Amino acid sequence: MQLLDIRNLTIELDTGDTVIRAVDRVSISLKEGEVHALVGESGSGKSLIAKALMGVLNARWRITADRMHWRGIDLMRLSNEKRRQLIGNEIAMIYQEPSSCLDPTAKVYNQLIECIPRNNLKGNFLQKRKALKKRAMALLHKVGIKEHAHVFDSYPHELSEGICQKVMIAMAIARSPKLLIADEPTTALESTTRAQIFRLLRSLNQLKSMSILMISHELAELSDWTHGLHVLYCGQMVEAGPTQTLFTKPKHPYTQALLKSLPEYNQSLAHKAPLYALKGTIPTLQHLPIGCRLGPRCPKAQRECVATPLVSDTHGHTYACHFPLNINKEKC
Amino acid sequence: MEPVLKVQALHKHFNVRAGLFRTKQFNAVSDVSFCLGKGETLAVIGETGSGKSTLGKILAGADNSSSGQILLNGQIIEDDGGRVENTKDIRLIFQDPMKSLNPSTPIGSILNEILILNTELDSQARREKINQTLLNVGLLAEHRNYYAHMFSGGQIQRVALARAIILDPKVLVLDEALSSLDPSVRAQTVNLLLRLQRETGLSYILITNHLSLVKHMSDSLLLLHKGEVVEYGETHEVFNSPQTKLAERMLAC
Repeated sequence: MQLLDIRNLTIELDTGDTVIRAVDRVSISLKEGEVHALVGESGSGKSLIAKALMGVLNARWRITADRMHWRGIDLMRLSNEKRRQLIGNEIAMIYQEPSSCLDPTAKVYNQLIECIPRNNLKGNFLQKRKALKKRAMALLHKVGIKEHAHVFDSYPHELSEGICQKVMIAMAIARSPKLLIADEPTTALESTTRAQIFRLLRSLNQLKSMSILMISHELAELSDWTHGLHVLYCGQMVEAGPTQTLFTKPKHPYTQALLKSLPEYNQSLAHKAPLYALKGTIPTLQHLPIGCRLGPRCPKAQRECVATPLVSDTHGHTYACHFPLNINKEKC
Repeated sequence: MEPVLKVQALHKHFNVRAGLFRTKQFNAVSDVSFCLGKGETLAVIGETGSGKSTLGKILAGADNSSSGQILLNGQIIEDDGGRVENTKDIRLIFQDPMKSLNPSTPIGSILNEILILNTELDSQARREKINQTLLNVGLLAEHRNYYAHMFSGGQIQRVALARAIILDPKVLVLDEALSSLDPSVRAQTVNLLLRLQRETGLSYILITNHLSLVKHMSDSLLLLHKGEVVEYGETHEVFNSPQTKLAERMLAC
């Protein structure tokens, strides 16, 4: 069953004189127990999509979608109240920059127990409090924090970034959600902690069949454990499909450029040889090119690229390009 | 060949409070020694709190060491905490270029100020130098009138690089300067750094957590743990046969 089904999600910002389209007709679908990743550079609208799904964007943003179904329920039609109840119980999100998203004025313990559901605790007041503490301790142990007493009694600024990140994850999984949205959970962490967090997320996915929507700009660290990838560029869905197909046979020049810019995927690359890089930089949202937004930087761009390419779909591998790569000769 | 930079038995300790009146010594960097040749890159890796950034700061002169020597081209520039010269030849690039540039001054004046403080050039020569440096990092001479917020992520990194190389340093310390960049911008910056190294024989000290970059860019590797050197050697040798458990764990993931 489709857990999440988003079709043609568009997010616009009205600035008074112009309307900026930050996310342009993005479709995502996610089955139960799958790990998907949204990949894109900064400013490509990854976090916006996640926030729109959670319903935490403020009123200035205009969100429209043909369909935004969560387990068959259309989120766009629900009232705010109902939507919050539904999402609060079933979707959790790990936000970017943990040290700034945790409340600096409260101790970690008080912040953590706020997230723990109270309805299955038994006994009187004291017993409940004891059980709550036990749950909180178990949560911290689960995310790999051993000295729980010290962490409970600290403010977020007293802890390192990695520990704060783990506390955020503990808060997110406290309600054992069906879907976990992880917004760049491993930036600013060193390689061992990063590997630990990935192991944790992976085990949550396998043991509890929790679906995960990873948001990241590091393609390399997603390759071996995600089922599907969605590549975004400037708010447009560039290519989406199963991770393996995307890595071996990218159809869009941008995906190929991303892969080529990673030293670990070019085994033949000589030591200190220049890496493959697209020319130019990401356009700002005020000056987006018309048609395919990659157009001015694309090595394969031709005249047709001023019209927005339609999304084509072959075997669950979708791409939006006029001149796709790796296409079988017979098909054309 | 004479190494450009030689560090001998570098120590740095901080005094931290251990009680009401007592203080405790905390060794941030202890007994670090290495050599860096012309046109070479040394990668410094380690967990958080292993003293990587402290080492970078000491090398660039932003902090003083407690004991040990730093030699540049065979001359002692820092001996037991006393800096002999100013730090024209070792320059530091910070993690976040947006935050490390003054938002209220144009790029041209930021670069000009460095030249006024460190060189004897007159205004015409300074102007020449700024234009030439901006062109060298792939920007245009007109960019001197721009403010920091007018640049995109890739360009601002180039400005930070221009600020570091304008004094023609011998060694550049990159403190996590590449980690927070987007992949395509990072590839561009890496290419730029490699080109500068090829053309001018600049040496880099790359403080990072990004192992694939370490593998690609560096000639030698220094692994720190709690301020101590755990492994030091040529990059491919350390990657192929790590000597300690810690190195094995760090390099595997």
